Amino acid sequence: MDMTDVKNTHYLQINHKIEKTFSNEDVLIISSTEAWEKFNWTRKYFSKKPRQGYFLWVKKQVNFPLFSCVLINSKKTTQDLQNLAVLEKGIDISLFGSCLSSKPGLYGSHNAYGKFVLKEGSSLKYEHRHSWDTNDKVKTRYTFILEENTKLNYIFKSINAPGKMDIENKAELSDNASCEIKAVIDCKNSEMRINDIIELKGKQSSGQIQMRLVGREKSIIYANSEILAKAQSKGHLDCQGLLVDESSKISLVPRLFCSNKKSQITHEASIGKISQEQLSYLRTRGLNEKQAISLIVNGFLNI
Amino acid sequence: MLLEVQKLKVKVEGKEILKGIDLKIKKGEVLALLGPNASGKSTLAKVLSGDIKYKVSGKILFNGKDITNLLPEKRVKLGIVLSWQNPPAIKGVKLSNLLEKISRKKVNLKEDILDRDVNLNFSGGEKKVSELYQILALNPKLVIFDEIDSGLDLEKLKDVSRIIKKELVDKGVTIIFITHSGEVLKFLKPNVVNVMVGGRIICRQKDFKKVFKTIKRYGYDRCKKYPLFANKS
Repeated sequence: MDMTDVKNTHYLQINHKIEKTFSNEDVLIISSTEAWEKFNWTRKYFSKKPRQGYFLWVKKQVNFPLFSCVLINSKKTTQDLQNLAVLEKGIDISLFGSCLSSKPGLYGSHNAYGKFVLKEGSSLKYEHRHSWDTNDKVKTRYTFILEENTKLNYIFKSINAPGKMDIENKAELSDNASCEIKAVIDCKNSEMRINDIIELKGKQSSGQIQMRLVGREKSIIYANSEILAKAQSKGHLDCQGLLVDESSKISLVPRLFCSNKKSQITHEASIGKISQEQLSYLRTRGLNEKQAISLIVNGFLNI
Repeated sequence: MLLEVQKLKVKVEGKEILKGIDLKIKKGEVLALLGPNASGKSTLAKVLSGDIKYKVSGKILFNGKDITNLLPEKRVKLGIVLSWQNPPAIKGVKLSNLLEKISRKKVNLKEDILDRDVNLNFSGGEKKVSELYQILALNPKLVIFDEIDSGLDLEKLKDVSRIIKKELVDKGVTIIFITHSGEVLKFLKPNVVNVMVGGRIICRQKDFKKVFKTIKRYGYDRCKKYPLFANKS
């Protein structure tokens, strides 16, 4: 993330301090603590009074994307965020969220609990990027509540993985709701646990989970993905791992659960290594081994 | 001499595939290499490009410099480039992106394959076009074309040959052309034809038409016996 991103952001938190918020007639992004005090109705979404985090409320349609940034730039900072986002009926927005540490050696800890409520007919495209140092730790729990006729496209990207990361993304879908969860994770010297769950509760709902996991330099990745079909619905899991070296491990567990006979849920999962043929090919194009691996990995993560 | 191959032997899983190849090519020459399937032509192409999976004995000299153990990417820097017969797909990497990374020379490619993943679901013809434009972008001194003509219809074959002639042959780039087809050689008019059988070059001739006639009539092995082709160097 560069300074342009920080400047353009609508919500900026550095360590524990909120540096920037945004509000106009249509959109509000303030601290979760302030939301708890000001809007009684938000309390049902929080498990306890929040101390940190943002509250995003999109009341009317806006024609610009929203940006949030949560940064650690002081040593041994522990962030405990409770985020809440509410999209009113029929709203269609894009959100870009960044969570990161500014430099190596901060030993930061970032914990985030989030709830995203998509009211009837609304649509959210959310690109959530994480970039950390191997000394940092991250834990997040996000729940997306999709009311009728809503649409979620969530992309979680962890390009510079922290030393330890524990992620859970869960979506609950009502009638005619659709959801795509994509996880793009590149681990180096990292222990990663990721759990993506889609619960198809409503008729004609549909969900897809796509995971692309890269393990290198003594990384361990435990990835679980689950689709639960409880009403007539459709779902698909597509989980692929790529082991770049011998020192890494990937465990991939796709799980399907179906309690409605009219549902159709499917999965595909694989773990592979870098193809020697691809590597040879790119080297005959003038790329050295490192550049060739980097290109193949970037391509693999490009979903 | 631009390229000189001396007593080149290659074993794969204990089996000798190349059994002592000697080859010389001057700068600007077009050399055709013919031979039946599994005669070792593609192995030779890969070995010349520096594929690290092959254990090699003998010598490969380029501009007098010993490159026998040089890495493939360093050979590309010297100007040695291979056009693959069956190039692999690289998922998630657009051809335009790859060209941007490897180009040493600007090429104008207006094909719609630029926006597609490299070789993924490309037709046979599209793969060949993609290979050709990558080659041009690398601004080579020596190109090894491994059956770039296979799978092309006559029209496409003419187009590809025209580009090879205009952009490479006429500009003095040296070519090794591995092929089964006589058609493409009509366009490219090689200076010399080599026939390879069982991991050995069994004859060399300047007149490619005569070689083709013999192969058509009597098969590849006849080249060895036929007096016309006995002038091995």
